[in-house]
Amino acid sequence: MKKFKRRLSLTLRGSQTIDESLSELAEQMTIEENSSKDNEPIVKNGRPPTSHSMHSFLHQYTGSFKKPPLRRPHSVIGGSLGSFMAMPRNGSRLDIVHENLKMGSDGESDQASGTSSDEVQSPTGVCLRNRIHRRISMEDLNKRLSLPADIRIPDGYLEKLQINSPPFDQPMSRRSRRASLSEIGFGKMETYIKLEKLGEGTYATVYKGRSKLTENLVALKEIRLEHEEGAPCTAIREVSLLKDLKHANIVTLHDIVHTDKSLTLVFEYLDKDLKQYMDDCGNIMSMHNVKLFLYQILRGLAYCHRRKVLHRDLKPQNLLINEKGELKLADFGLARAKSVPTKTYSNEVVTLWYRPPDVLLGSSEYSTQIDMWGVGCIFFEMASGRPLFPGSTVEDELHLIFRLLGTPCQETWPGISSSDEFRNYNFPKYKPQPLINHAPRLDTEGIELIAKFLQYESKKRISAEEAMKHAYFRSLGTRIHTLPESVSIFSLKEIQLQKDPGFRNSTYPETGHGKNRRQSMLF
Amino acid sequence: RRRAGGAAALRSAGAPAAPLGAARGARHGGGAWGRGRRRRRGESAQELQAFRDYGESWYRSRKGLESRFQPREPLARQPQVTAEARCKLVSWLIPVHRHFGLSLEALCLAVNILDRFLATTPVAADCFQLLGVTALLIACKQVEVHPPSVKELLALCCDVFTRQQLRNLECIVLHRLDFDLAAPTVSFFLEHFSQVRLEARGADAGEAADARSLAAGVAELSLADYAFTKYAPSLLAASSLGLADRLLRHRSPLDLRISGYPEGLLRDCMDQLQLLVCLNGRSLSLLLPSEVAQKCPWLGDDR
Repeated sequence: MKKFKRRLSLTLRGSQTIDESLSELAEQMTIEENSSKDNEPIVKNGRPPTSHSMHSFLHQYTGSFKKPPLRRPHSVIGGSLGSFMAMPRNGSRLDIVHENLKMGSDGESDQASGTSSDEVQSPTGVCLRNRIHRRISMEDLNKRLSLPADIRIPDGYLEKLQINSPPFDQPMSRRSRRASLSEIGFGKMETYIKLEKLGEGTYATVYKGRSKLTENLVALKEIRLEHEEGAPCTAIREVSLLKDLKHANIVTLHDIVHTDKSLTLVFEYLDKDLKQYMDDCGNIMSMHNVKLFLYQILRGLAYCHRRKVLHRDLKPQNLLINEKGELKLADFGLARAKSVPTKTYSNEVVTLWYRPPDVLLGSSEYSTQIDMWGVGCIFFEMASGRPLFPGSTVEDELHLIFRLLGTPCQETWPGISSSDEFRNYNFPKYKPQPLINHAPRLDTEGIELIAKFLQYESKKRISAEEAMKHAYFRSLGTRIHTLPESVSIFSLKEIQLQKDPGFRNSTYPETGHGKNRRQSMLF
Repeated sequence: RRRAGGAAALRSAGAPAAPLGAARGARHGGGAWGRGRRRRRGESAQELQAFRDYGESWYRSRKGLESRFQPREPLARQPQVTAEARCKLVSWLIPVHRHFGLSLEALCLAVNILDRFLATTPVAADCFQLLGVTALLIACKQVEVHPPSVKELLALCCDVFTRQQLRNLECIVLHRLDFDLAAPTVSFFLEHFSQVRLEARGADAGEAADARSLAAGVAELSLADYAFTKYAPSLLAASSLGLADRLLRHRSPLDLRISGYPEGLLRDCMDQLQLLVCLNGRSLSLLLPSEVAQKCPWLGDDR
């Protein structure tokens, strides 16, 4: 125990006497409020704690305490640890002192508008020399803040930066980086002009927009944060995942704008999704383009899977395509959760068409292979012009799958016979049909590859990484395999989009039909 | 039963009889397919395949993110929150996360969110518990199928906070952390090292599973101790597994060199963990599955 006490006192710092009276506590909190000299926001409750109840778990920690020396006069908590366990019941509002809750990056930029004073003050002569002799170029700035190449920097920004900024060959702290970005215009709603609405869902509205910084089109996904349960899971997942995913085949998240009650995600704008694309070419795509699209799906997916990020909701509506033919995975809202819900927040049905049979039968634990079934379905749909398994209910969906691929049995799917759900459905015993009859335009390699995606046993499904090396893609050459992650496959001259045979110029404006499609962006 | 509020609910959650996930399963009915032992085997086959496909790159990518998500002296600038208070809060979050049947991953993420937020923003002592449940909520929204509801979380705090307070704080935390939430966790690295071990020739699956369970308990315990915030999750995971093998006297222990850490660092972390285990034997025994706890007679006999 002695040893432990010593340890704790090493660990602990700045706690005060055990029996602090509550009134004292309240007083000190006011002092704290008035005298917080460093102008730091502090999260605190409006009233002092009133009762002591606590649920100790690690008894040893709670029982015996050496009182460490007082370090700060203002530290309040001490033995009255129960205080955080029970709080005043009525009328206490959570006050954020000094916090500007209008969540722009302005809180940050205020503090650092002298631009990263910490670094400037670092007492090294080298910095000074650098600053005198070197002019900051656009290139420096782009490199440092990882800005898009076509960005327009506000007038006078570079000059300002010249005066008070750390030397450019040194890394920047996260905070000053954010401050700098904010000065340029990131993180602010004023930077984006809202154009027409693309779609609306229960928790988000998507607008087409334009960035004043780059003059480029953007998609503005406005997420309302005011919900019974707080910020929507989908938003939290989507943002936290997309922030770390930077790849040519994944939709780019340009910016995040926090406002009081909403969060706006600024994405690059892509004209259409794969569903629209297929519609626009009368569901007869060039087989070459099918290959290019499939390759890009796999390339984006392999990148995600290498980071243990699963998409879980692959479908043509979530694959966005620009006029160059670049395809990008979008809508990561469902990614990472442990199950695929069948209904959205608004109780709208999520399509079952691309969902693997193991998931349809209730398996809840799965890994990267879950996405590969959907890839197979999408591959088929591109090649044949119609969805592979357009089921309306789980039973219908399974029925369609089994009718084509054969009803599974213990031999074709070890373990299936002990699945209660499967037995309860009591499907007829279908024999597998040759896939080629349904997608006659696919070549042998294509058929072979599709069969590898549509494996009942998830562990037997080919991985995205492996699939990219399949013979089906041999005609694309070898250079495509060694491209850096952020580079589009169309940067290679041998990779070119072909004209789709069924293409008709869909100049007629968005019908209600088209609008519905776009809604898929939302969930 | 779940709404019973604060203390009572907690006590039942801490009871060793309630296995991890039991509450969850009961609540949501659970998919019928693949219940029980067979399912476990089927799933691990699937996991193993995914691990073979991508395990190395998962490890590399998480390892690469570690330093970015490592909290740096989260309490150094806190006027009111102390290490003691943090310990108490996390010690409370442990049974809370079990009560809801949440994963260790969710708990680790919650503690990471808590610590990194503390590093950015001074928090008043009387908001600290609210911060704890807020961090847990955010973590669950990332990785759990069914995050606990705001109402349930508030009930666990004896309804001293309002829904609006929790939602406000959630916004503040998300903003402060700039939505950087996907931290690598001890839980991930425990899983990774255990899979590597299973893939090695002559692996003892039983030993690997026991070590993993015990190490998970040790790691869970370490979350509550401020002293361990300085260790990277991968170091904690490797050391916990090393300690578990040692405590269980395994004949083919995990080769800790796969963690890439120098021996001295591992030894230091293991010593710290061992001390922690010595002091919290009884608590630890409550965190372990009974079959593993039985193999740890030194944990204290008053279970």
